Amino acid sequence: MPNDSATLTLNGPVARLELNRPDSRNAMSLELLSALHEGTDELAARAVDEGVTVCVLTGAGRAFCAGMDLKQIVIEQGGQPGSAPDTPERLLTSLAELTLKVRDLPCVTVARVNGAAIGGGCGLACVCDVTVTHADAKLGFPEVDLGLCPAVVAPWVVTKVGAGRARAMLLRGGIMSGADAHRHGIADEVSESRETLDNLVESITTRLASGGPSALRATKGLLNDLDGEQERQAVLAGAKLSASVVVSAGAQSVLRARLDANR
Amino acid sequence: MIRVADESLVRVVTLDRADKRNALTPEMLIGLADALRVGGETRAVLLRGSGRVFCAGFDLTLCRDDGEDQSTLRALLEGLSEAVGAMRACPAPVVVAAHGAAIAGGCALLAGADVVVSDGDAKLGYPVTILGVSPAVNAAYLKLAMGDGAARRALLVPELFSGAEGYRLGLVHDLVVSREDVEGEARTIAETIASKPGTGTHATKAWLNELEHERENNSRDGLNASLSLVGGGESRELLKKAWTK
Repeated sequence: MPNDSATLTLNGPVARLELNRPDSRNAMSLELLSALHEGTDELAARAVDEGVTVCVLTGAGRAFCAGMDLKQIVIEQGGQPGSAPDTPERLLTSLAELTLKVRDLPCVTVARVNGAAIGGGCGLACVCDVTVTHADAKLGFPEVDLGLCPAVVAPWVVTKVGAGRARAMLLRGGIMSGADAHRHGIADEVSESRETLDNLVESITTRLASGGPSALRATKGLLNDLDGEQERQAVLAGAKLSASVVVSAGAQSVLRARLDANR
Repeated sequence: MIRVADESLVRVVTLDRADKRNALTPEMLIGLADALRVGGETRAVLLRGSGRVFCAGFDLTLCRDDGEDQSTLRALLEGLSEAVGAMRACPAPVVVAAHGAAIAGGCALLAGADVVVSDGDAKLGYPVTILGVSPAVNAAYLKLAMGDGAARRALLVPELFSGAEGYRLGLVHDLVVSREDVEGEARTIAETIASKPGTGTHATKAWLNELEHERENNSRDGLNASLSLVGGGESRELLKKAWTK
């Protein structure tokens, strides 16, 4: 899928990194994740020298990110076609490493959740320093609805909204509106409508970029230290756990039925 | 005084002592912990209380005849620690229908739950230091539920707060207007959870438990902190004063 790309725009203090796979609602394929790794690496290398203090992470088209690419997490099994059996673990490990990398960026990250942010996509939004969305966006962690385990994103959700709220949210599954995501602490700011999202993002990035670059980096660095090494290890361990559930026979039959229904 | 009914995939556990506002006895806490040891066929647990309120806390009248060692108070604290630990250890999510009131030991059960439903006017909180009793036994769980700042206030200031405030603080996850609607809402949540494939739900709860494992070890220290006061002059004196009021 050569069209799966991520677009990094460096132009002044506010950079932009865009998931660019709009035909698939920016679902995370190995190719898209690899492009996001490249974009993040480049930003990390250039941010300080080029005076980037803020990066807006967003999705091209209507969705922010629909989560893991269903086509790639359905594996070849029992004579049925699908990905290689190790693909889910590669995908989830790549996502886990990407979340750590985004967290470590030497600039303040703002998730501009322009539309659906589902599962790993919502996790990516939670890793950012500030999460902004609009009232009608759809966010959430429906992994348990499909018999899956959101193990990679769980440590980030716990860190962001607290262990108790994370527990209730991840175990109940489902999808919530942007307004509810704001109420539950997943989104930090919410605009009334999709149309007014950019005004809100603009005002937040302008406010952020008015801060001293060293002060912003020192503050973010301290907050990252407080995440703790143990939580970071848990994100990587979560990829293995989550993959082991994805490839189980029960989950595969649910995923395959979902994939067939989408066709 | 603990009733258990398996309704298809949901186990319904009832604190059934309505004439005493479901005040907890050591036997009830042991029974509650036992009821939460479920097999793989249980996909969700609904914990409810019969009568007007969910739970008024420990039945401290039982401590009236305690000797100097306050062995009943000790049994209550140990039983509570065991029951809350069993809520976490239960492989299926535990949904609590906290209608009307969940006070002291009753409120501690909310901190151990996976999902809590309550009503806006419910009375919640831990007003026990005025009795010379330390709510430390529940501190680790309460911090996980509402964060450190709010937990400090809730444990140290002997006041009640409303269900609406509990929702704002994160102890309550789903708020309904009237206490009559709490159980229906909690039941719907439990049934929805139970309708999903068990593998994902069990793996997710086990993973969330693992992520907080280090902090959970502190709950042992919490029990010890609470037990360290048992048999001391302060709690005997303050409890006696409360009964003669």
